[in-house]
Amino acid sequence: MSEDPTERLDSGSSNRGRILIIGSIIVSLILCGGYLAAGGASYKPASVQNPCDPRPWRDPQGVEEIAQQFSLSALDGAACRLGVSREELAQALTTGEARRQFAEDHGIDDAELEEAVQAGLVRAIDDAQDAGAISALAAIPLREVAKRLPVEDAINLIGDSSRLFDNVSGYIDGAGGLLAGAQDALGQANDLLPDEIRKQLPPEVQDLLKP
Amino acid sequence: MSTRRLALSVAVGLVLADSSVVVLALPEIYRDLDTSVTGVTWVLISFNLVIALAAVPSARFARRFGPGRSAALGLAVVAGGSLACAMASGLGPLIAARSVQAVGGAIAVTAALELLPSVVGGERRATVTWAAAGATGAALGPAIGGMLTEWVSWQSIFLVQVPIAILAGIPLLGIVREEMRTELIQRELRDPGRPHVAANVALGLVSAALAAALFLVVLLLIEGWRLTPIVAALVVTTIPIFALLGSRLAREVPNQKVRATAGAILICGGLAGLGLMPKAMIIFTIPPQALVGVGLSLVLSALTETALAGRSPQTIHGGWTISARHAGVVIGLLILTPIFTSAIDTQRDDAIAAGTAALLDSELPPLLKVELGDRISRQLGGAKGRVPVVGPAFDPPPGDLADQPAVDQLRATLEDQLDRAATQAFSSSFLLAALFALLSLIPIRMARRVDL
Repeated sequence: MSEDPTERLDSGSSNRGRILIIGSIIVSLILCGGYLAAGGASYKPASVQNPCDPRPWRDPQGVEEIAQQFSLSALDGAACRLGVSREELAQALTTGEARRQFAEDHGIDDAELEEAVQAGLVRAIDDAQDAGAISALAAIPLREVAKRLPVEDAINLIGDSSRLFDNVSGYIDGAGGLLAGAQDALGQANDLLPDEIRKQLPPEVQDLLKP
Repeated sequence: MSTRRLALSVAVGLVLADSSVVVLALPEIYRDLDTSVTGVTWVLISFNLVIALAAVPSARFARRFGPGRSAALGLAVVAGGSLACAMASGLGPLIAARSVQAVGGAIAVTAALELLPSVVGGERRATVTWAAAGATGAALGPAIGGMLTEWVSWQSIFLVQVPIAILAGIPLLGIVREEMRTELIQRELRDPGRPHVAANVALGLVSAALAAALFLVVLLLIEGWRLTPIVAALVVTTIPIFALLGSRLAREVPNQKVRATAGAILICGGLAGLGLMPKAMIIFTIPPQALVGVGLSLVLSALTETALAGRSPQTIHGGWTISARHAGVVIGLLILTPIFTSAIDTQRDDAIAAGTAALLDSELPPLLKVELGDRISRQLGGAKGRVPVVGPAFDPPPGDLADQPAVDQLRATLEDQLDRAATQAFSSSFLLAALFALLSLIPIRMARRVDL
């Protein structure tokens, strides 16, 4: 019995239709699968590091480098205390207006900000000591100073801590240099601290800070 | 091709291109008229919304008033509206003029469907010609608009339409005279019956997805990746090129449901591909756009033919398809615009944080860091609701040439982060648009097969 040509036409058309649909599915899957395999799902801005995690210091070799590392550690410490990113806090501390907006957005009052910035400085001193940038002897009074520094001075210190490290080469140049460095650091800390706050320090720290 | 057939095809193509022709000009209009992204989207939404609302009443008007006169009147209104668009000095007047253009467009395009059967010799050929002209116009619109914006101005997009609408109307004057000579034809104004719900719903969903494909790709290229309109126009030309290839494929498969299904799958796959791009590079937009182009040519013609098949009068049902398509575009834009504008803000903040990290950790001297940080934050501060440009923050270059490599590295890192942010910001909208295309498979599946 011969095949009806209309049926053959229908069958051919139906096959082409099936191929078209299956082909469309395959092509779509290959495209999406290929893009996913090439990293399509993770192509987004880099996420910033948790400020509470330790951030190792990069081989500091001079005043500027150490001062920068100190500032970054201080930012990390303060941001960790406030529960924000180091980057957001850095942007907030650029101007008074940015700081007010940041405090408003996060519901942070002046006392909390002051406490966070002081905590940041303490962490920076710890990190500096761990990295060998300042001696343990210098670190003790510096911590006491940091805990009592008014917020404006603390923020200024984060912005430019180089004056704290003017003689940094002394700190990393053997024992003699270490002692000289410690004395310099104490002298700088003494300059930073207002009289009324210096009086609140423990007597032994006040003795260390005497010029 | 007869002059009348050409004129009617141009009229339909012009109106449906108008739906998307301003897409590439939107960033220019946005800057020129000093408005917001959401505000400028209404230049697109208003046109599509008015056409969606006016299409069916226009079809009834064309049947009562006479299709020749209606088409000529519609094209005259399009010409007037286009001129008003070109002369608009603010967002409000531009949106109002776009609405006038849309009313004229709705009248012209539905009247064209009433005229085409007598011009091309049969309803089926008329439907195919009408659907093909519409698909071509929709696909070519953004590319033409981009070229005109780059070479001349955004106003030229509208000015160019004035002579085109007038020239397309001239051959119709013969039909108008014929209509005037004859007694007012007592048309059979019978109940046109219900529209093909499944095909029209599918058309709406597919159009919502296509609005994303055309509108979001353009915004991503110009606003996100900072390409010029002309380069963006060349990139989006991929869609009409592949739509042309797809139309050859469509002729090989007469079954409308198969074509609609395959087309919707390809659009879905293409949009998902756009949502999963692994890098901010033009080359990665080409394969997804190719899929969208082929899909567009398969699905639009198939669904339009299905919606009109066996239904009379064609003008009224053609009006329903126009209404469904443009309503889909409006719904797509209304849903997707707030999603991507909010995503731009979130992603921009992430990019700024990543850029700040790069600045803080860079090996630049502290004073230069502070200076650059200040310049960058001022540059980024004024870019609410859009992806910022950081280039000007790096001018002038640093005083010490030794710092230049580190500055260049920082700039490259920042731009990479912003590229990532822009691409990621559009991702969720593309994926949602892909879902629209996927959802269209439900009404396509439900659509009764009608072989013409």
